[in-house]
Amino acid sequence: MSLITPLYDSLWNEYLVWSLLVALFTFGWLYHHSFFYRSEDGENPNIDNLEVGVFPVENDDLKLELAWTIVPFILIVYLTYISWAPLDNIWASPDGGHFGDECDYDSIDYYGSNLSFDPDAELKGEYTANCYHTIEITAKQWVWSFDCGTLEAELCESGFTEADGRAVPHLSLQAGNAYLAYMTSEDVTHAPWFVSLGVKEDVLPGQTTTVWILAEDVEDFLLLCTEYCGDDHAYMMAGVTIHA
Amino acid sequence: MGRNMTISRSMVALLLISIAMVVSPAVNSLPTGVNYDQISAGGCNCHAAAPNAGVAVTLDGLPEEYNMSETYQVTISFTGGPSAEGNANLGGFNLWASGGEITPLDATVQSNGPSEVTHTEAGNDYTSWTIEWIAPSHGRDVDFVVHVNSVNGDGNAGPEDQWNKLTLKVAGSLGPGLEEADPYKVLATLIIISGILLTITVLYGFYRTNPDAFDWEHLAPWLTEWLTSTDHKKIGTLYFVQGLFFLGIGGILAMMIRIQLAVPGNDFISQDQYNSFFTLHGTTMIFLAAMPLINGFANWMVPLQIGAPDLAMPRLNALSFWLQPFAALLIFTGVFTGEGADTGWTGYAPYIVTEGAHTGVTMWVAGQIMLVASSTLTGINFLTTMAVMRAEGMGWMQMPLFTWSILVANLMLFLSIPAFGVGLIQVYLDRTISTAFYDISAGGDPLLWSHLFWYFGHPEVYVVIVPAFGVISEVLATSARRSIFGYRSMVYAMAGIGIVAFIVYGHHMFTSGMSPSLRFVTMLTTMLVAVPTGIKIFNWLKTMHGGSLVYRTHTLWALGFLVTFTLGGISGMFFPSIAMDTHLHETYFVVAHFHYVLVGGTVFGFFSAIYYWYPKMTGRMLDERLGTLHFLTAFVTYNGIFWPMHRLGVVGMARRHHTYFITTDDFTNLPEWAADWNLFISVSAFLFFFSNFIMVANMLISLVRGEKAPADPWGGWSFEWMTSSPPPTPSFDWNNPPVLKDANEHIAHEPGRLGQWFNRLMVPEDHEEVSH
Repeated sequence: MSLITPLYDSLWNEYLVWSLLVALFTFGWLYHHSFFYRSEDGENPNIDNLEVGVFPVENDDLKLELAWTIVPFILIVYLTYISWAPLDNIWASPDGGHFGDECDYDSIDYYGSNLSFDPDAELKGEYTANCYHTIEITAKQWVWSFDCGTLEAELCESGFTEADGRAVPHLSLQAGNAYLAYMTSEDVTHAPWFVSLGVKEDVLPGQTTTVWILAEDVEDFLLLCTEYCGDDHAYMMAGVTIHA
Repeated sequence: MGRNMTISRSMVALLLISIAMVVSPAVNSLPTGVNYDQISAGGCNCHAAAPNAGVAVTLDGLPEEYNMSETYQVTISFTGGPSAEGNANLGGFNLWASGGEITPLDATVQSNGPSEVTHTEAGNDYTSWTIEWIAPSHGRDVDFVVHVNSVNGDGNAGPEDQWNKLTLKVAGSLGPGLEEADPYKVLATLIIISGILLTITVLYGFYRTNPDAFDWEHLAPWLTEWLTSTDHKKIGTLYFVQGLFFLGIGGILAMMIRIQLAVPGNDFISQDQYNSFFTLHGTTMIFLAAMPLINGFANWMVPLQIGAPDLAMPRLNALSFWLQPFAALLIFTGVFTGEGADTGWTGYAPYIVTEGAHTGVTMWVAGQIMLVASSTLTGINFLTTMAVMRAEGMGWMQMPLFTWSILVANLMLFLSIPAFGVGLIQVYLDRTISTAFYDISAGGDPLLWSHLFWYFGHPEVYVVIVPAFGVISEVLATSARRSIFGYRSMVYAMAGIGIVAFIVYGHHMFTSGMSPSLRFVTMLTTMLVAVPTGIKIFNWLKTMHGGSLVYRTHTLWALGFLVTFTLGGISGMFFPSIAMDTHLHETYFVVAHFHYVLVGGTVFGFFSAIYYWYPKMTGRMLDERLGTLHFLTAFVTYNGIFWPMHRLGVVGMARRHHTYFITTDDFTNLPEWAADWNLFISVSAFLFFFSNFIMVANMLISLVRGEKAPADPWGGWSFEWMTSSPPPTPSFDWNNPPVLKDANEHIAHEPGRLGQWFNRLMVPEDHEEVSH
């Protein structure tokens, strides 16, 4: 199991590299100075002549201060820039966006959703699909319910299964398809976390939110609730199967 | 006794009995067997009201002392009663054991779960049944309870049937087990014990100051003085003691959370109790521990550092403090009634106003409204004090950095906390008089609360970290024997953080269903936070350059702060990137991040402050050896707790869950090593918890036996080091008030860069030549 989903894999790795560089730089500096500039035993020189009741001499260097204002600024502009691209996938338009329009199953042009990932496209790769399927997710304390609508059983099937010794809802999807889930809640706020897909979105009462479920690989995983919703919050889970 | 009275009494007794027979749970024993839960209280009372000694029950095959995990064959049998050969049926039974596993051997017996068996329909025709008992592996004593019923065979349960009950104890090698404790009782007991210990400590402190003065004439004025004082030093001490006390309470809550999470599927704490534990842990740590610790030092040091006799409004200051303990009492009310607030410290609507939320939430909200009042008053007080009471010679840009940090923190708090107050009052009204601010069916909006809360909540986390920046600036500069590098950029960076704090809160709502364009904007602004924070870290590092670092305990904590806070800052950079945040939101990665900045930042910063200013506050030096031991143990165990949490969060451990799931054959969740790491975290957590008692012990021992502290033990420059330790009241000699001199006098009177440039514009180029 990869630590994080393919969509963000390269983003995660890039952030990790920069984190390591920043940490090495900062900690290298910190460790060097804390050993190199320590006072010898018994020695207690007052380098800047600190004196009670006297505001100490200024110790600054405009160039250095500007340097560590501007360089981190450039770095974060870059990090923001590379974080930009996946947003197109996360918040794709349901009308002719990255995943096309909702599939028209009667059309002679319908050959399936055909979700594909192009690692070289955009900045950090992107998902595209011919069309997408819609499902509905309804949450209430403390159970998920999945509604496949009129989708064929091959594409989407909901039922019950057993996980951790308890009966939990089950959602079965087909790999290679893009799904758009319309979600609402009957009572309080919940949030389904498709752990292996790395997406979650709050489910609010009186409101409809959406989340793209990009079923790429064949896998089985637990869906957890990640917005606190009361007593059985931790048990509010579901099994998700993505089959071939 | 008259005859009438006897009759009427008998009638009442009969009436009661018949009511009892109707009301008491009816048992459908019969052919299908009986359930222990139903009969454990009243016995087989549908057969006959009381057990009958005529039925003799035997339980054969059990040892006196069992061997762990061994299997025993046990026979239950009875003699006597109305059952007789040839009846349609003879009797039934129920066997319950407090440990191990009971399994039926044949069709006459059925299982009601691992701890209980009963007869089947076929088993009704027997007077003896055989089962198998697998002894438990824990080695504690096991109780057996067997109910047996001898029936007359008429097919109906009636008083002609007779039953009896037998209890038996089988000894284990370890003797009786511990009674299962209710975590709420454990918590309430520990809170009360902590309170008693605190009282004893305080009284002992009083005793040490004057061993002869324990009579009421001396004790009463002493108590009155502390309860009614408006002196900033006394109130500072009160805040400080309150902060440390609740740091301990919050720690106890954290330890109980860690016991629960030590192994997957643990049932030490039930889920609803777990929910109120993490809620109270968050609320306690932020509002009742971190803020009072900060206010304690602010009360003590700000007037001293700016050379003021007291805060501008001393009575208001006393009111600010005294709102706190009562607010704390309200917040914890729920624990003592068994229904502690269970909404998370964020208290998201609409859950917080639903029936499902615990009743303790109402008082928790009420307590926080009082804290809002307290913080607002504190904000007004400190801002006024700093604006009008600075000593002569101290301009805004000559204030010590700790004072600056308190200014920025209070400005943020003062501008943000009213929004929280409004939200809390709405929730309070919703919960008490059924207004409909957050009632979805009446058109309420759950996102309104999120906005109100985070508009306050994000500045709030900076409110608790910025004063720690101030402490580190003081400690590092003094320890390195240098003036702080880039005083101005330090101030601008803090002000920058204070401004940015108000436009980034949307990053808590990246998955909230809020408009994507708003979420995108907060992604951009949140990234900006790294810039001023980076300036501060690099300035601290540069301060050490060319210095001569004197290693004291407060120096160690300040360097430790630089490590942990930098790590927390780096992990923070992963969240503004929305693509990653949709995975990391509400996981242990978040838990790790904010504990790295709140414990590794605020708490470490204020541990440093304790070691730095304790001699000033008490006049006694702390023990450096104990201090170093505290730093080493706490720093290592602290990282042992929170570092592994990053990885646990990334692989799928969700926050605010009372348990976690290890991958099974069917569904992937956490890998198996996640359980090992959780145990490791729990062990580290206990070590960290107890290591902090080294500091408490150090403070108490030093208070009694510590060396006397000089006025300026570390060689700092600001005014607090001018007065004696501890400072007298009034702190300074007001016939000769402190005046700040400036080592940069020559610079101070020269025009700044802007001024120079401006002058050049105003004065003609050839002016000098003409004057020559």
